[in-house]
Amino acid sequence: MSRPLVTVLAALFALAALAPIAVMLARIGSGDLAGLFDARTFTLLGRTVVYGVASAALALALGVPFGFLVARTDLPGASFLRPLGLVPLLLPPMLLAMTWTVLIDLRGAPAAILVSGAATFPLVALFVARSAERIDGRIEEAALLAGGLRAVLRVDLPLVAPAALCAACIAFVFTVNDFSVPDYVSWVGPKFNVYADEIFATWRQHSEPGRAVATALPLIALTLASLLPALALRRRRGALAVQGGDFRSPEPLRLGALRWPALGFAALLVILAAGVPLARLVWEAGGGQRGWSADGFRSAMGRALERSRGDLANSLVYSALAASACVVLGLGLGHAIERARRGRWLEPLALLPIAVPAVLFGIGIVVCWNHDWSARFYDGGGLVVLLYVGRYAAFPILVMSGAVAMLDRSLEESAQLAGVRPARRLARIVAPLLRPALLGGWILVFVFAMRELDAAILVPAANHTAMFRIFNQVHFGRDDFVAALALLLVFLILLPGILWSLFGRRRLELLP
Amino acid sequence: MKFLQPPSPSRRRRWPRLAPFLAILAPLLFGACAPEADVVLYCSLDQVYSEEFVRRFERESGLKVRAEYDVEAQKTVGLVQRLLEERGRPRCDVFWNNEVAHTVRLADEGLFAEYASPSAADIPARWRDPKNRWTGFAARARVFIVNTEKAEPAQLRGLADLADPRWKDQACMARPLTGTTLTHATALYEAWGEEQTREFLRSVRANAGIVQSNGQVMRLVREGRLAWGWTDTDDFNVARVQGYPVAAVFPDQGEGELGTLLIPNTVAVLAQAPHPEAARKLVDYILSREVEAELARSDSAQIPLRSGVPPPPSLPPVEALRVMEVDWQAVGRAVARRHEELKEMFLD
Repeated sequence: MSRPLVTVLAALFALAALAPIAVMLARIGSGDLAGLFDARTFTLLGRTVVYGVASAALALALGVPFGFLVARTDLPGASFLRPLGLVPLLLPPMLLAMTWTVLIDLRGAPAAILVSGAATFPLVALFVARSAERIDGRIEEAALLAGGLRAVLRVDLPLVAPAALCAACIAFVFTVNDFSVPDYVSWVGPKFNVYADEIFATWRQHSEPGRAVATALPLIALTLASLLPALALRRRRGALAVQGGDFRSPEPLRLGALRWPALGFAALLVILAAGVPLARLVWEAGGGQRGWSADGFRSAMGRALERSRGDLANSLVYSALAASACVVLGLGLGHAIERARRGRWLEPLALLPIAVPAVLFGIGIVVCWNHDWSARFYDGGGLVVLLYVGRYAAFPILVMSGAVAMLDRSLEESAQLAGVRPARRLARIVAPLLRPALLGGWILVFVFAMRELDAAILVPAANHTAMFRIFNQVHFGRDDFVAALALLLVFLILLPGILWSLFGRRRLELLP
Repeated sequence: MKFLQPPSPSRRRRWPRLAPFLAILAPLLFGACAPEADVVLYCSLDQVYSEEFVRRFERESGLKVRAEYDVEAQKTVGLVQRLLEERGRPRCDVFWNNEVAHTVRLADEGLFAEYASPSAADIPARWRDPKNRWTGFAARARVFIVNTEKAEPAQLRGLADLADPRWKDQACMARPLTGTTLTHATALYEAWGEEQTREFLRSVRANAGIVQSNGQVMRLVREGRLAWGWTDTDDFNVARVQGYPVAAVFPDQGEGELGTLLIPNTVAVLAQAPHPEAARKLVDYILSREVEAELARSDSAQIPLRSGVPPPPSLPPVEALRVMEVDWQAVGRAVARRHEELKEMFLD
């Protein structure tokens, strides 16, 4: 890989993703760290860890069977259920919380665990499905002959376990960094307070900038401590592990009498985690408690589209641009992680932006770019794109490094011997072979950028995005308008996947 | 294979190498197109109510306004943090806050310029900063929202009812950790002193439902899940407009009683505002009687603070209310410290 090219891409990544973090960390003085070691911090951290572990365990319990069933068995409708199972991951977790706290009388920690587990189980299912497809058919055939389906499962489960645990670590990270769900499910009764909420509250009330940043350090450490094992696990026999050259795809497993109960489980999970929240939005948009009507629904959708057309368009443009830029960064830096000498040090650095709290990252962007020389850029949409790139480039970088690991080195080596220059090798040999991973990385960034609010709220031009408009309207119970706009946003988030399903020649894979 | 051919110096073949850089640079260049505004407004009043005023001001003055808003979930924190972070190079000219505590805090930090707007001449002095760094107008009142199918409004008299065992588990309030409830709790500390306020809040916590926000108070009461709750007049009015059976009770209105708390909108010109002249014009417009009257007519039912401006149709005029006496400077300075105490009381 060309050293100048890697240097340029790494510099761009540093500018977008690391500089905002660095300027914030530089604010911490020695006195700011003193408050970190009090009993309250440890109580909150302990509670947050328990909450994260319980949610990840629930995600594992739901995601492992779901992922395996839709990817590897003759489950009826598996090809339909598999993409639908991803939908909860694409919805803002707050929407799930808003739905389930109304439908069931569950509050506090149990409700938060239930909602977060339901929101993150698709991650586990995604990794497990991809990993289960990489089990060599010959191993399964031998197990099948020796002891039937039970023996196959005994062989397969240890093989998918690293991928499942890797996804559970990521689910844990998503859970402990989100305070909207614990906050929302405590809307009545004692508050289920977690550490992410404490960070937000510190920003809200304190004008001591160093202390506010220092408060975030324990959660950053916890997040990195969870992501590093995830990186190690994915290199084992996980979703992104390397296949041998003589790999033989496994045949779908026959479930026999278990087919229909298995279908019931998978369909129920999709209905509860995705169908019910979407149905509630439709109900709210049509009038909700005051009486649902098709006219009311049409009217709310029309108003939402009319008032928010510009915001929806901005969200689409910013997210698509950020996703495209991230894919380029991901291709170059992901390749460097696998192929460049000392490239592995890029990996933990790539994780940093997703480990820091959103509010810290957003203020870091303000500090970096609010200068006279950058005034026009600061006010424009480019800063929103830069924020999205900085915050989410980690996803395509890691996806791409996993995909590069699976490429045969000899292709690049042959081209190198023939005198083809590094940038050209990357563009003409590596990129075409990684097309599914490029698309997967693009979609991941697009989805997260479309639902981004907490960091973007601090950036001027993000004032005119759909997520901002939704949460600006939540006040005062304008439920029909909010629900209609949320439906439009969900449709746009799902749009790339829908288009690919309709017109793509291959199945869409978010993981290589 | 084509790529194995020796590299050609032709311009066309350099494009693949440039493509990644162009893809990254494109969004950066895209941002350089942000249009210059004549005046920049940061506004924490709900966009749905304030943006019409912005458009009208643009039409009348011919000035282009760049308005930036907050979201309810952030409780004004987004804009306040930005004002603090941008103080080295202020880009905001006018801050329109829908409450007062953060405004006082920012004024104390030196973020606002002194400006005595001619439009504010008839606003009583109690609603203006003594140094003219901010001006209050169009207030929300802290009231009880009552579901008239669940409770008789006449049964409620004042804040003490929140702690009355007669209403055990039938009333609710928002956690006093954000927004107007935090401001109100801080004002109670100033009015009643440490012991009485702490005792009152502990009793309320034991007796009433404690919920996430004033919006949730309104939802629970309008749907009849609880009989009544402590919230703001704007929340009450939205439930009323939507047709729910609700009434508003102004607490502690008797002779010698505390009175209801009014929390005004506030507006201020930034010190070192990039467009000071246009900023003053915008502030004059926001503080005009017409805007206050419009805000009273809107669904948010803001109560005008000067006499002669018609009140919201569903609420009494300010002259008819016993209003709680508040030293806003003291409340603004104390709010962060009180938040720490209340966190210990209302969080595990």
